[in-house]
Amino acid sequence: MASGVGEQARGSASSQLYSNEENAALDMTTSEKVVELLNQAALISTEEKLIVLKQVQELIINKDPSLLDNFLDEIIAFQTDKSIEVRKFVIGFIEEASKRDNELLLRLIANLNMLMRDDSVNVVKKAILTLTQLYRVALQWLVRTKSVTDMQEACWDMVTQMKEDLLALLDSDNDGVRTHAIKFTESLIITLSPRTPDSDTPKKQEGDISLDKIPKDHTYIRYDTLCEEGKSALEQLLKFMVHPAISSINLTTALGSLATLARQRPMFMSEVVQAYETLHANLPPTLAKSQVSSVRKNLKLHLVAVLKHPSSVDFQGQISTLLQDLGMSQSEITRCTPAVVQPRKRLHHEPYVEGKRIKMEGTLVEDDEDKEEPAPVVTPKPSSSAGTQSAIDLTAEFLLPLLSPENVANLVLISMVYLPEVMPASFQSTYTPVESAGTDAQIKHLARMMATQMTGAGLGPGLELCKARDEEVKEEEGGAAESSSKDPLIIRKMSAVSLGQAISVLGSVAAYKSPVTEEAPQIKKLPEPILPTSQPKAFGASGRKKVFKLADVVQPFSAAQIEKLTNMAIKRILQSEKAIAQTGMSHVRVKLLARLVTQFEGGRKNDLLEFILEDMRSRSELAFSLLYHEYNEFLSQQPSGSLDSYEQCLFTLLAGLQEKPEQRDGLFTKLVLEAPVITDSALEVIQRYCEDESRVYLGMSTLKELILKRPSRQYQYLNVLLNLSSHEKEKVRSTALSFIKRMYEKEHLRDCIEKFALTYMQFLVHPNPPSLLFGAGEDTEVASPWTEESVRQCLYLYLSLLPLNHRLVHELASVYTEAIADIKRSVLRVIEQPIRGMGMSSPDLLLLVENCPKGAETLVTRCLHILTDKVPPSPELVERVRDLYHKRVPDVRFLIPVINGLEKNEVIQALPKLIKLNPIVVKEVFNRLLGTQHSEGSSSMSPLTPGELLISLHNIDSSKCDMKSIIKATNLCFGEKNVYTSEVLAVVMQQLMEQTPLPILLMRTVIQSLTMYPRLAGFVMNILARLILKQVWKYPKVWEGFVKCCQRTKPQSYNVLLQLPPPQLASVFERCPEMRDPLLQHVHSFTPHQQAHIPTSIMTVLEANNRKPEPEPEPQPELQHPEVIEEREREVPVPRHISMPVPKHISMPAPVLQAEPPAPTPIVFTEPPAPLQQQQQQQQQIPARREEVEEPMEQEEIAQSTLEDSSEEALQMEVSEEVSQSSSITEKTDEPIEESVAKPVDVDAQPVDESEDVDAEAEESSVD
Amino acid sequence: MPAHPLRVAVVCSSNQNRSMEAHNILSKRGFDVRSFGTGTHVKLPGPAPDKPNIYDFKTTYEQMYNDLVRKDKELYTQNGILHMLDRNKRIKSRPERFQSCKDQFDLVITCEERVYDQVLEDLNSREQETFQPVHVINVDIQDNHEEATLGAFLICELCQCIQHTDDMENEIDELLQEFEDKSHRPFLHTVCFY
Repeated sequence: MASGVGEQARGSASSQLYSNEENAALDMTTSEKVVELLNQAALISTEEKLIVLKQVQELIINKDPSLLDNFLDEIIAFQTDKSIEVRKFVIGFIEEASKRDNELLLRLIANLNMLMRDDSVNVVKKAILTLTQLYRVALQWLVRTKSVTDMQEACWDMVTQMKEDLLALLDSDNDGVRTHAIKFTESLIITLSPRTPDSDTPKKQEGDISLDKIPKDHTYIRYDTLCEEGKSALEQLLKFMVHPAISSINLTTALGSLATLARQRPMFMSEVVQAYETLHANLPPTLAKSQVSSVRKNLKLHLVAVLKHPSSVDFQGQISTLLQDLGMSQSEITRCTPAVVQPRKRLHHEPYVEGKRIKMEGTLVEDDEDKEEPAPVVTPKPSSSAGTQSAIDLTAEFLLPLLSPENVANLVLISMVYLPEVMPASFQSTYTPVESAGTDAQIKHLARMMATQMTGAGLGPGLELCKARDEEVKEEEGGAAESSSKDPLIIRKMSAVSLGQAISVLGSVAAYKSPVTEEAPQIKKLPEPILPTSQPKAFGASGRKKVFKLADVVQPFSAAQIEKLTNMAIKRILQSEKAIAQTGMSHVRVKLLARLVTQFEGGRKNDLLEFILEDMRSRSELAFSLLYHEYNEFLSQQPSGSLDSYEQCLFTLLAGLQEKPEQRDGLFTKLVLEAPVITDSALEVIQRYCEDESRVYLGMSTLKELILKRPSRQYQYLNVLLNLSSHEKEKVRSTALSFIKRMYEKEHLRDCIEKFALTYMQFLVHPNPPSLLFGAGEDTEVASPWTEESVRQCLYLYLSLLPLNHRLVHELASVYTEAIADIKRSVLRVIEQPIRGMGMSSPDLLLLVENCPKGAETLVTRCLHILTDKVPPSPELVERVRDLYHKRVPDVRFLIPVINGLEKNEVIQALPKLIKLNPIVVKEVFNRLLGTQHSEGSSSMSPLTPGELLISLHNIDSSKCDMKSIIKATNLCFGEKNVYTSEVLAVVMQQLMEQTPLPILLMRTVIQSLTMYPRLAGFVMNILARLILKQVWKYPKVWEGFVKCCQRTKPQSYNVLLQLPPPQLASVFERCPEMRDPLLQHVHSFTPHQQAHIPTSIMTVLEANNRKPEPEPEPQPELQHPEVIEEREREVPVPRHISMPVPKHISMPAPVLQAEPPAPTPIVFTEPPAPLQQQQQQQQQIPARREEVEEPMEQEEIAQSTLEDSSEEALQMEVSEEVSQSSSITEKTDEPIEESVAKPVDVDAQPVDESEDVDAEAEESSVD
Repeated sequence: MPAHPLRVAVVCSSNQNRSMEAHNILSKRGFDVRSFGTGTHVKLPGPAPDKPNIYDFKTTYEQMYNDLVRKDKELYTQNGILHMLDRNKRIKSRPERFQSCKDQFDLVITCEERVYDQVLEDLNSREQETFQPVHVINVDIQDNHEEATLGAFLICELCQCIQHTDDMENEIDELLQEFEDKSHRPFLHTVCFY
């Protein structure tokens, strides 16, 4: 697919080229052609661009290189092209161009450097590949140039810098980039190490530069620097390989690279084989099973390749053991093994010797600026038979005699414990049954495997010895050659010495020194050497040259010399660490050092401390020894002695450990716990340690141990921990708190902790936070005000103790009453968690509620809210609250949290007070009562059903509560459309209607229900009819509402109106004259027979407007018999709707669904005027519904009752009616009603977030 | 997704059955694919297990086809060899030996562990110049027609997934683990360099 496009593009591009050529005829020069192509390239798509650019490259690099310079900039300009492929092309071009004309490196290297940082991984990889090539090219170029210009120097510096950057990419996040970096490292090592006769160099790379081709007198390129760089690259590669989480591909790549190194640079054979051994024994645990087999296959392949190299002679044993482990048969191995040729052995060692010599020269070259070429020295050391003895070799040798059957059996038994549950993939695939158990060969093999593991883990005498050697070599060479550790010559010498006998420290150094000093004069023959003269060296050198005379040498030392020698002696003892460890006398050394340092004054102690801190883990013994000696010194000088020296020592050690970035092995803890005395400054370090977020746990565990195990000063330690409990860092604080909580269980610490917590809490009583909180340490009040943060600081500890000791809650109450408002607020905010933790059954909490100190009412209320937020209140709690309310603080707000626990009549009693509260609080109360707030707190918990609640609201004595609040409260009910369904409202209306006297708000509720559920119209008609029976006109307010209702429900209400006695009908028309005509028309539409049923008195009233009103006596009784009404009502609608399928609409739910879609929000919209059909349906429902409501109707009693005139209420109803009528139909029903309320800000009209309720309410109550 | 199409090589022992089946499917799916064998000779089943038909890599599929038709048309039709050769000659003219091909690939898929070893040995014995990486993956496929078809689909799926990675080298490890879990067969995987 893609290739098809490519071909097409190629086709078109080449045809373009072709036509170009044609057009321009033959005289078109290459230069013109390039210009043409470049112009094209700027405009065409990526695919074609690549082809065109490749043509350009071909033209200017191969066909006419003279043009290269001219068009360089144009091509390089494509390096910012958005296509990855084009950028990769530019890199390729840089490579080709630089190879063609090395001078171009000056201009191009910076571009390559830039591309190496490209966003695209693929570009970076390409750049790495190119640098791999160009590094060699650049080096070769510079080496060829005899006089290096500044530009070239800068260029090489840049290349070197890029090389470093690239090596750093071994740690890249990208697997592929790492793979490329490995290959770069490989090639770098090859280049930066000398080729030797036994190097297995690929033919194509014959001409490539390598270290041996670099002249040692080059003006800018330093042979020795490069050599070091090469070695350090190898080290990095080896280090990279042992990373435990290395990916399988990286590992494979590295394995291959090592094989290449071993073959091309046999001098590294030892490192390579060792690396293979280490890897084989420690396959990364992260590899999957198939990856393990892939890696093992690779290992085998590369081992065979290495084995085939003649220089592997010395390692054949190890390699073939490895190969056998990898499942290769002995015969196959033998086939791959080259015949042993004697001279090879010498060849093998020569590079080492040479390398060594060169390095030393290099050092000298650096030291002595003036000299030219040092004479090549040929002093091949007689190669010792042992060959290169590595750390593994040494450890293996050490282990071999120890592997007796008994020991091995014990080892196996011990390690059984550590066996993992599941067999790891790597083990499963590497396991081969042990064939020759117990034979010498197998024991040797075992020793070697263990040695590899131990070396990998950084253990074993071999490693220590090698390290010691490294250090001393480093020391000797003034730190110039850092990686001389690999130098087998010296290792051999040293190991021979240190293995052979227990030697004195001085002796060992001297023995080691001699070869160096021996060599030095030889090198320095030509130039005048300026050696950094150190005394032993001079001593050694002169001793060698002259005839030895004691008198010449032995002179009294000057004080300075003595001082110097003493220092050096101590230094040597210090540095002989590994060598002495080997002899098993390290305890003597430790003791000696500690003694020496404690007894002599001066800077040695600091040296020693520094030395210890360099590697605290392995030198902890020394640290402790020193510490004890110091303390001993102090004791011996009692009573006048001072702890200063000891303190300084402990402080330095602890501070050193504290400042070290990583410390996992608990040395700090160990040091603290084992120190004889913890001084104040040490305690400060411990505190700082605890404040370090990454080590807070370790630090505090240590502190805890101190508190528990050092009773004499435990309060001091505890104080540190307590202080941390109000620390500004969250992690420190929380850890401290959790520790303190554990301590709190200890009887004897309890008091102290409590006292501390209470002291801190007492701060809250002060008008300003004490400076103690800001770490000033003095208990003076500063002028800054309390902040949320500082209040919390004072409470952290207290609040975490609260759930453990409920008694403490009373203290909070007393502090609370005294605190300022800001603090109160903060306190209310933070107590939620602990109070909830205590639970409502806590006797202390109940006691608090019972006692409720003066001023702590808001606190108690908050507690009640927290407790009942999620769970219904317990009877005990309700009891206390009730008591509190009735006997002490008659604040109705106390009742809110427990309202669902109260008796029904209690709630009804409290209602008038409750609804007078702030609207938000009222809402909260209703939510609780209606169970609309919490999912768990179902309404069944409520002592009142929704219906009962609404009825109780209607029945509130208006002397106890103003009408406004009642109306608002009912509106809240109507707002809960889910709770107040049409059924509930119907029941409410029914019950209200039966009451005598009729509640004032009855008609208001009826109208509102009707607005919410227009389908209730039929039912409402029924209610209206019954109200007539109850002589509704005797209640002025209700009557008013009645008329409004009729007005709103016309034409259904006509039939109701016709049932009114004439005077009342007249009264209706008085109120709304516009009703008259429609009603009259309605009557006229009746059949004559029906009309006959209308009493003339009614007709008179109806027609009053047309003619002169003639008040006629009513022929019929004022109150009709229910049956008559019923009959009449039935008669009227039936003829009109005869065709409608009646049964379908008899049951309520069905038409409901049709008539009114369920409203998704609690906001109620008035229904649009129902379409005719719907109205008809509703009318038709009337008879059916009638039956349902009929029963109560029979028992109605007509009772007259006086109704207090509440003009305000009447006004409201008036207004609400008007507004709701005039306003558009989609208007909220609450709105007009609310508008009538005097209060300007309408809380309910705003959407109130439920979740905010509690907080807002708490806020409110606290401000009160 | 890498900008250039993945260059894939599918390698089996004789470049007849498994590699060609995969070659067929992959080229139909638009991959830049080639196929190879690693054996010293091309071997096809003969009248008895110990009497295979042996050709060298220079012999075209056409010639093999004609040769087998001449020898025993019935037998080779019945065991599907002729059908296979017929398919092969429509893909390319003759089998190719991996060791003789100096072209570079991004991905080499082998069909058998022995072949994988040979490919690795060959790649490692070449002189490295550009250090351009090539990933070698082994998918074990039994040498019969059914397995070859199933294997070819697996290889194709694998190639498609690899082709669709943003950064193949960074994701291939994980991808192969997933495939192992899915297909319940282990993949050997390594990287070599040109």
